[in-house]
Amino acid sequence: MKNTDMKMHVRGRSLFIDDIPTPANLLHAVLFTSPVAKGTIKRLDVAAARKAKNVAAVFTHLDVPGKNQIGHIIEDQPFLAEDELMYIGQPIALVVAETRRAARAACKLIELEVEPGEPVFDPREAYRRGLIHGKKRIQVSGDTEQAFKECRHVIEGSTASGPQEHYYFETHRALALPVEDDTLKVIASSQSPGAYHHHIAEILDIPQHKIELEIRRMGGAFGGKESTAVWVVAPAFAARLLDRPVKLILDRNDDIATSGKRHAYVFDYKIGLDAEGHILAYEVDFYQQAGGCADISLPVLGRSFLHSTSAYNIPNVKITAVSCKTNVPPNNAFRGFGVPQAVFSMEAALFHAAEETGLDLEEIKFKNLLRDGDTLPYGMRLEQTDGVRCWETLDKRVDIKKKLEECEQFNREHDDRKRAAAVQPVCFGISFTQTTLNQAGCLVNIYLDGSVAVSTGAVEMGQGVYSKIALIAADALGIPNHRVRMEATNTTRVPNASPTSASTGADLNGMATQYACRELVERLKAFAITRFKHDNPRDISIQDGEVHLMSARTGYTWEELIRDAYSARVDLSCHAFYATPGVYLDPVKEKGRPYAYYAYGASLTEVEVDCLRGTYEILGIDIVHDVGKSLSPEIDRGQIEGGVIQGIGWATIEQIRYGDDGRMLTAVNSYKIPDLKFVPKRFNIHILENASNPYAVCNSKAVGEPPYIHGIGSYFAILRALRSVRKDKPAPSLPLTPEKVFMYLHG
Amino acid sequence: MKKIKLDITVNGVKHSLKVDPNLRLLDLLREELDLTGTKEGCGIGECGACTVILDGKAVNSCLILAGQCAGREIVTIEGLSDGEKLHPLQQAFLDHGAVQCGFCTPGMILSAAALLHANPAPTEDEIRVAISGNLCRCTGYTQIVEAVQAAAGKDKGDWWLQI
Repeated sequence: MKNTDMKMHVRGRSLFIDDIPTPANLLHAVLFTSPVAKGTIKRLDVAAARKAKNVAAVFTHLDVPGKNQIGHIIEDQPFLAEDELMYIGQPIALVVAETRRAARAACKLIELEVEPGEPVFDPREAYRRGLIHGKKRIQVSGDTEQAFKECRHVIEGSTASGPQEHYYFETHRALALPVEDDTLKVIASSQSPGAYHHHIAEILDIPQHKIELEIRRMGGAFGGKESTAVWVVAPAFAARLLDRPVKLILDRNDDIATSGKRHAYVFDYKIGLDAEGHILAYEVDFYQQAGGCADISLPVLGRSFLHSTSAYNIPNVKITAVSCKTNVPPNNAFRGFGVPQAVFSMEAALFHAAEETGLDLEEIKFKNLLRDGDTLPYGMRLEQTDGVRCWETLDKRVDIKKKLEECEQFNREHDDRKRAAAVQPVCFGISFTQTTLNQAGCLVNIYLDGSVAVSTGAVEMGQGVYSKIALIAADALGIPNHRVRMEATNTTRVPNASPTSASTGADLNGMATQYACRELVERLKAFAITRFKHDNPRDISIQDGEVHLMSARTGYTWEELIRDAYSARVDLSCHAFYATPGVYLDPVKEKGRPYAYYAYGASLTEVEVDCLRGTYEILGIDIVHDVGKSLSPEIDRGQIEGGVIQGIGWATIEQIRYGDDGRMLTAVNSYKIPDLKFVPKRFNIHILENASNPYAVCNSKAVGEPPYIHGIGSYFAILRALRSVRKDKPAPSLPLTPEKVFMYLHG
Repeated sequence: MKKIKLDITVNGVKHSLKVDPNLRLLDLLREELDLTGTKEGCGIGECGACTVILDGKAVNSCLILAGQCAGREIVTIEGLSDGEKLHPLQQAFLDHGAVQCGFCTPGMILSAAALLHANPAPTEDEIRVAISGNLCRCTGYTQIVEAVQAAAGKDKGDWWLQI
């Protein structure tokens, strides 16, 4: 089954937002944003801009009819700034003009006087000053203090991980169209149909049923379009006030400079092991670089918090986590949602411990992998774990020990080039940690000709969720795949949809789809028994578009069945709803069962470092990954491959710099994502055999985020190569760029 | 700004236009000719999403002024297939799952098409070099390289003659 959009994509026929034919009277919106990282607005004068040629309007917060707020979790994020400025790039005014050029030119006519404040950029410093979002979270499992006393080895250290730009190819954008009866249609590049729909209504102070939000597809998102609704809200707001269509498209560099990133973290860790390498205790402090507003930072931190022990069983754990209010644009979701940072910290502690103790790193890792019956720090007892099986399968395929020895042999023979490998296990919890979001709706319509249209709350961003849901529908209805079409995600068909994130799109919406289709099949079977003068609907089935009775073909086609069922007044439309059962997290005790299940994996990354130049090559990566019973091996392979490469990019070459004043120094020409020259030629993906999962649709497992974790192995492989040269300085922070490698070796 | 006269052939169709001298080829294609298959990814020639074929060579249409294309021939993604029949590269991208979000796909396919036009049987390394200027954020490129390899033997260059 192909990604249903693919045929249009290869011909350039799929319409992204800027490809939709331009509506008559279209206006273009551009945001005027804060030039300072912290300050107070003393004077804002937009009169000259309003009078400028071709300018339709300039709006400030005074023009907002409803609640001037887009805070995703906490209401600390004004749509248009009122007085306090919290980061460079914060929206202050919205200029709407006949052309984007005119709107940009008018921005320069806005007069702004600011009383500058003292910005803070370092998360630790923000914490020291009490500048945090929400509360400090602490989780205690066992007794670390006592356990450290019993440890043979106790190692302490600090490290840090950097931000990462999403670099979705389609930047933030939306098109808003006034329709009759004061209603509004908004076509957006957004992962959060429900939340953005709500924000637009609140800002305009109109009921949600007067707004239709549609998302056909996105040119990538990776979490970056889950929150910070400003770029969708702004054109909707202007279209409503001006009663004309309005489009907003962020330029690439504006998108990079003003949108959120993967959160940078600073970590302090302390790890204790016994003589055999069992991890007895682990303490870690997370300082999260959240940005000026809370945005979605607290849920991201929450997921770090819950994944602090990565894929390992540790009986005594103490975790503290703070979301630090720093004066950079609010950081947001990015594939992995806080898990990569937590895993990096754990792995850094283990690497450090192995070096200090002389214990074998891979032996420590394998020995401590989570197994059936182990309990995670938040009290969830594990069953059906597949982490060990992934590791053992990887070992059979690559012979880990031999591979490491080969690297050492190579290093003995070469002075200026060093090779190393690292093994990275994966254990990734699946469900929204915020229990409420684990719900999905679906609407399935069967038309008179037997064609089927499926609407869900899931949005397509290239991950193939539409294809997976269409497959589930066709399978549940017993009809060929081509009879099912996925409708664009639209709030008039499926309301209040959770974001398509946390890798749950297919799990939640697929299950709702399966429910709806099964209900329709039951209705059709109840009708079919009357036609066959049979008394038991259980003897009826639909397979390959044909009705079967007692498992025998009847020659009665799906199309005939639908036509007759319609004539007999059978309801051919069905809404269904799914809520993941049994998930919860007690926010006070920090205990519960926040995830329905876990996705596992193991990989080996091999690198070669050029010690003279500081450059390196990812020689190869071998991956074993658990996707349960795959809904689509082709889509899953693409997700694994893309996720891994994004993870490698974060760990190695993707670096963002801010100036002393908080200004983004990185632009599209200085931010390097992996290209074809960088990715490894040896890229072996092995999907774990005989894996299943009773907790998700068709026994599948989520695949969007977990593979990203494999990419972290690239950092540790490079670090291992560097340590084979010298160990007299601390390990550099992540990303381990060629510049850092050079400075480590020669600085 | 005084407009300039521009005669240009796009996907085999001759156009005689008057355009702003600072109009980018990308904007000419998207705004004036409604060929929105060509995408703008970065606007400064970093990502390759806006790749089109200009007189047989792959170019970034965001870096070229429309006026520079006077008297020249452009092929965009819309011109690659033969009616409803897909070009072998398009079919191979489908067959090998080389497409995810689709935003980089037209440019990626056109860079590969320019390569196959000039070199019908490239090595893997030649493929990697030829499309290394086209970034993709969704995939890890493996399926893309496989697709180009699969199409390599099948491209007879016929499409080039048909437009």
